[in-house]
Amino acid sequence: MISMDWQGQKLAEQLMQIMLVSFAVVAFISGFVLGSFQIMLLIYASGVLLTSLITVPNWPFFNRHPLKWLDPSEAEKHPKPVSANTSSKKKTGKK
Amino acid sequence: MGWIGDQIDSIKSLQFRQVLTQAVSLGMIVTSALIIWKGLMCVTGSESPVVVVLSGSMEPGFKRGDILFLHMSNDPIRAGEIVVFNVDGREIPIVHRVIKVHEHQDTGEVDVLTKGDNNFGDDRLLYAHGQLWLHRHHIMGRAVGFLPYVGWVTIIMTEKPIIKYILIGALGLLVITSKE
Amino acid sequence: MHSIGYRANALLTFAVTILALMCAIVSLSDNLNSPSPTAQVQVLNINWFQKKPDGDDEVSLTLNISSNLQSLFTWNTKQVFVFVAAEYETSKNALNQVSLWDGIIPSKEHAKFWIHTTNKYRFVDQGSNLRGRDFNLTLHWHVMPKTGKMFADKIVMSGYRLPEAYR
Repeated sequence: MISMDWQGQKLAEQLMQIMLVSFAVVAFISGFVLGSFQIMLLIYASGVLLTSLITVPNWPFFNRHPLKWLDPSEAEKHPKPVSANTSSKKKTGKK
Repeated sequence: MGWIGDQIDSIKSLQFRQVLTQAVSLGMIVTSALIIWKGLMCVTGSESPVVVVLSGSMEPGFKRGDILFLHMSNDPIRAGEIVVFNVDGREIPIVHRVIKVHEHQDTGEVDVLTKGDNNFGDDRLLYAHGQLWLHRHHIMGRAVGFLPYVGWVTIIMTEKPIIKYILIGALGLLVITSKE
Repeated sequence: MHSIGYRANALLTFAVTILALMCAIVSLSDNLNSPSPTAQVQVLNINWFQKKPDGDDEVSLTLNISSNLQSLFTWNTKQVFVFVAAEYETSKNALNQVSLWDGIIPSKEHAKFWIHTTNKYRFVDQGSNLRGRDFNLTLHWHVMPKTGKMFADKIVMSGYRLPEAYR
């Protein structure tokens, strides 16, 4: 199953926030200048649609840094990589 | 045997903890909603600071499903204000506009007559039998702010209770099954 | 964890939060508008003036209302509700406000209007105090926004007087 790697998730989240905020700003300014509430809503709605198309599905674009799991034989020699895993989880969770 | 028992115990304690955390987080959601509601009640001084418009009697100003924010200050009620009032013998409050005000010289009491913008006649037909005027104690608040469409959620939920139960069930399931 | 559903949920929450913020700012932007409406009301005729059987005075007027409320409209205005009320003081009541006429202005193009009308609502006093009574005619308006805070204000026109005798 294709999914996002950690960097991909971070990128997707940041992209989502940046895109939504910038679409909101553009929508507000154009609505204000043109004096139309409807135009503001339309621009924002299309922005939300575009953002969800880009950041929600598991595009391969977000999976360019897949985790390289150790071989079972290799893993036997080392302690389990639990700590590394949870720390990166917390990082993304904090956002 | 002892090892298996230990395992079962650890699973049991784990689940107990998890259930407890989830119960607490569910309780946090419910109480924070309650805090917001009660806080709004204090700030606005109105029994129900937010009401949903249920009828089309104020169209095109307010449509069914719009949300009104109420404020109840000590300022006297004046013509033109949109007030929410309760009539004796009617459960559902009504949102209409004040068209006549008579403020008595001696007591300071007000007699108020209301009308829906979209209705032909005034509201005397809606009032209790023989009631000609609304008084201060009938009025729950005056509308100060407006948000369109959001109230449809509550209208749908009250009219189609199944959807409400499905939604509550789904939310509960989400809270229970979610980890972290 | 971080599945499609999770991301869709995060996006929806963020999008709705921003939408609410936008609506709040839109409502605040209404404060930038400083309107300068004008209004004029003339009482053309007193059609009849009598005491009803229950003892209250009632009068019927013909009014000529002209007003320009175009400056009230902003991009967040859904409609303007406008009404003319008679306001007066009697020995019984410290304040009486009686709506005589009202109307809904749906758009800026209709905000400059001129109307010749009899009173739409009955002008009835509580009691029999209208003879020779001085009263104000007040043009009130109530701006209903597409979202956010509602605005209301008025123009008071004084110097109107009802006749001394019924007719």
